[in-house]
Amino acid sequence: MLRFDRRLFLNIDWVLIGAVLVVAFIGLANLYSSTHLYTNVGTPLYLKELTYYLFSAAILLLIVSIDYRVLLTLNYPLYVAMILLLVFALVFGKTIGGAQRWINLGFFRLQPSEPAKLILVITLASYYYRKETGKGFTLLDLAVPALLTGLPFLLIAKQPDLGTGLLLGFVFISMTLFVKLRWTTLATLLCGGLSAIPIAWKFFLKPYQRQRVTTFLNPENDPLGTGYHIIQSKIAVGSGLIFGKGFMKGTQGQLDFLPERHTDFAFSVWAEEWGFMGSVVLVVCYFFMILWGLNIAISARDKFGVLLAFGVVSLIFWQAFINLAMVMGLLPVVGVPLPLISYGGSSLLTNLAGLGLLMNIRMRRYMGSS
Amino acid sequence: MPPRPLAKINKIDPAELKMLKKRIDIAMVLIILSAALLITRLWYLQIYRGDEYAKLSEMNRIRIQDIAAPRGNILDRTGQPIITNRPRFNVVWSREDAPNPDEVIKDLARILHEDISVLLDRIRAATENPRYMPTRLKEDIDWETLAAIENKHLSLPGVRIEVIPSRDYLYGDFASHLVGYLAEISPRELTEKRYASYQSGDQVGKQGVEKIFEKYLKGEKGRNYLEVDVHGFEQRQMQLQEPFPGNDLHLTLDIELQRVAEEAMDGRAGAVVVMDVNTGNLLAMCSSPPLHLQEFVGGISQTAWNRLLDDPLNPLLDKTIQGQYPPGSVFKIVTALAAISEGIITPDATYFCGGSLNFGNRRYGCWKKGGHGTVDFQRALIESCDVYFYSVGMRLGVDKIAKYATSLGLGKKTGIELEHEKGGIIPSMEWKQQRYKEKWQDGETLSVAIGQGYVLTTPLQLCRMTAAVVNGGTLYRPQLVQSITAPDGRTLKTFTPISEGKILGSAHSLALIKEALVGVVNSPGGTAKAVKLPDVLIGGKTGTAQVVRLAQVEGMSEKAIPYKYRDHAWFTSFAPAEKPEIAVTVLVEHGQHGGSAAGPIARAVYKRYFELKNGTPGDAVETPPSLTKDEKEE
Repeated sequence: MLRFDRRLFLNIDWVLIGAVLVVAFIGLANLYSSTHLYTNVGTPLYLKELTYYLFSAAILLLIVSIDYRVLLTLNYPLYVAMILLLVFALVFGKTIGGAQRWINLGFFRLQPSEPAKLILVITLASYYYRKETGKGFTLLDLAVPALLTGLPFLLIAKQPDLGTGLLLGFVFISMTLFVKLRWTTLATLLCGGLSAIPIAWKFFLKPYQRQRVTTFLNPENDPLGTGYHIIQSKIAVGSGLIFGKGFMKGTQGQLDFLPERHTDFAFSVWAEEWGFMGSVVLVVCYFFMILWGLNIAISARDKFGVLLAFGVVSLIFWQAFINLAMVMGLLPVVGVPLPLISYGGSSLLTNLAGLGLLMNIRMRRYMGSS
Repeated sequence: MPPRPLAKINKIDPAELKMLKKRIDIAMVLIILSAALLITRLWYLQIYRGDEYAKLSEMNRIRIQDIAAPRGNILDRTGQPIITNRPRFNVVWSREDAPNPDEVIKDLARILHEDISVLLDRIRAATENPRYMPTRLKEDIDWETLAAIENKHLSLPGVRIEVIPSRDYLYGDFASHLVGYLAEISPRELTEKRYASYQSGDQVGKQGVEKIFEKYLKGEKGRNYLEVDVHGFEQRQMQLQEPFPGNDLHLTLDIELQRVAEEAMDGRAGAVVVMDVNTGNLLAMCSSPPLHLQEFVGGISQTAWNRLLDDPLNPLLDKTIQGQYPPGSVFKIVTALAAISEGIITPDATYFCGGSLNFGNRRYGCWKKGGHGTVDFQRALIESCDVYFYSVGMRLGVDKIAKYATSLGLGKKTGIELEHEKGGIIPSMEWKQQRYKEKWQDGETLSVAIGQGYVLTTPLQLCRMTAAVVNGGTLYRPQLVQSITAPDGRTLKTFTPISEGKILGSAHSLALIKEALVGVVNSPGGTAKAVKLPDVLIGGKTGTAQVVRLAQVEGMSEKAIPYKYRDHAWFTSFAPAEKPEIAVTVLVEHGQHGGSAAGPIARAVYKRYFELKNGTPGDAVETPPSLTKDEKEE
């Protein structure tokens, strides 16, 4: 398993590594700009983020050096470990901002809902790979993956962290649509899903979450409460104009008007300081990375690789899309970090591990079957 | 990780690959479309409507002001406020509103009567802070200055007035050591865990209950979100989070008794402790001379601080809990209790005092040169005969004395809520071996028996000891706080008496001692006759703590002895004798005589206590009666 094949080196995915490095550099520079004014005790945040990067890169190396097919035997142990961590976080977790999300590891506060995203991708890819069907999946076949998704979804929504919960839903839907569904199944699901929305609205969402959605639909209605974020973020992005106000010169971002300016709203700082040009560069970088990931999926040597790569891509895509759309005022405020850019070790670790899987699949596309 | 067998995986079959590829193509299209959507949105925000937003960002800048929370009040046990808040006005400079200060500062310096360089230094010192954080230029300005600045408001961009609640000491410096003071949080405190939610510039309790109960008193800051234009003028309020006031602290102190004690001390160095003997609640805690709390509001100046450090009366020391003194004859209570309980003596056994006792090759003198003659247990305590206690102590041995002293709570911290309490010293054979690596000398036991030598106690310890001896033998933990109530009146916490257990000594021996202590105040020849009150029976014990060996001041008249060599005067007491309610312990540093220097202070406290209790109003504190010649006792 750990036998190093010369071919592995020949197939290192330099393109993806390059794209990740560019985005990482942008993320760190932006973090420096948005937090250098903090009179924070201890290490500056950008240095902390850098150490998270180094740590995550080591994990990435480890992931790349092991054949990804090992995951087929490891998927359920991983899944069980994830559920235990989520339960542990609910019971003993550190409460931050009213949500129980953290497990303190001493050197690092792990937010188990982050790695849970990736572990769900691995679990679903393994399940769909094993469940070969010629004719496509029936509704009954979907019961198991729906349960596999529902359990972490409920644990995370309970924290409460609706953003991450929804993300799991999107990943599940994307991967399920990717494997073959029967038309009848698809139609049933669509009808069921649409009718579930009002029920969820009434019973599942907390009042403040409902408020966020209504505010989003009409932010001017509540300029001081939740609408404040949306308005301020739009002002920050909009006032960047073509070339931006310049590095560390943003007035909106620097003025402490957004409580999450280095995490969920990192992009609004970037857009204000680098303008339309800088924003497009970042969006293009991102989407190039995502499209490259699909390219990896299609060139994988086996179906498991295809499913796994597609899952990772859908995970990164949905995080990026939801976060960017939120910052630009296209979606209500939900707490989804921007991969590789928002400050936070758990999110970084998860996304780099996912990218590691992509590189892993890419490197082994020419290997014979074992 | 053990190598796991790789799952058997076959290459993908071409037909399926084709199908999957089709779907990936669809996904690609969708992804490119969403990228296009985002870029279009960026174009719309940044280019199509960019100028609008750029203007908004110029105009619409949010200023966030913290609004300090009114700190909780501190009240006495009757609900009388002792410390409340008053508004304090500071002049602050906000950098984000006026980038170049020079012109404005020139005008401002004139109004404030300050040197320009001083103001500029303050601004420079704050360049590290975030731009929206205002810099304080001058604290606590008066109404006139305030009006002058408000009038010129428009010509002083960047200058603002900040209103913060600050402490108002309704009773001046009463109980100053105990309540403590507030000051700006220090950089070192900011790194501590307990102050995690604080920012630089915040006021925080630095000592006493202000510090200990900080988390209850502090309340929660509010925040004001204001829209400001480019010139820093406020346009409108966006959002206001009201501050939440802190909780009120109800002390066990009785401010009237505190007042009487402070006034009777009259600035002399020393301490007064008044305790409810049945609960351990402290009714007064006075360490004299007091601190001038007003000096600390807004930060104490270096010169004032140095003056306090150099003061021979040592005002910075809280003498009630940190002052450690030999208890002198007050300690004879311990020796007496040990001797009776251990059966070393019977109440009727007598000793002859001829003015001194020879032990080894030394002569141990009694304070009464002519000697007391034949004394029994009662007389020995009443007249405080040293020779009697030398003999008793010798027979007891130091370890027995130490056992009883420890059970009476001496030689260890009492556990009062305050910080930096000292425990004092109760010597024993083992203690000396550990401390000096030397064997205990029998002669040293004699000194211990009369509360001299190595013995050190604090006024609070002696007061608690007295309470335990007369309340039936329960040692209580001293407490300062009765309850904590929320701003809406809800009680958050009540403090009930905490018993530390029973003291050694039978009820019978305690009764004997109590009886003798009443004699100290009320019988002829008692050392504290000056304390007597007409309609209340008081009991007590005087003491003199030697500061230097008698030989050095031998033959000098009392007036001629330099202040710093004079003995400390002790008096510990309780009343009413039939059913004791309070214990009062007084220490006057270098006051020379327990009966005459410390006694009258206790008397004043009792007088007020019973006036309040019986509803007979009285007011001014009596000045201690001057000494007549024949009353010169120990």
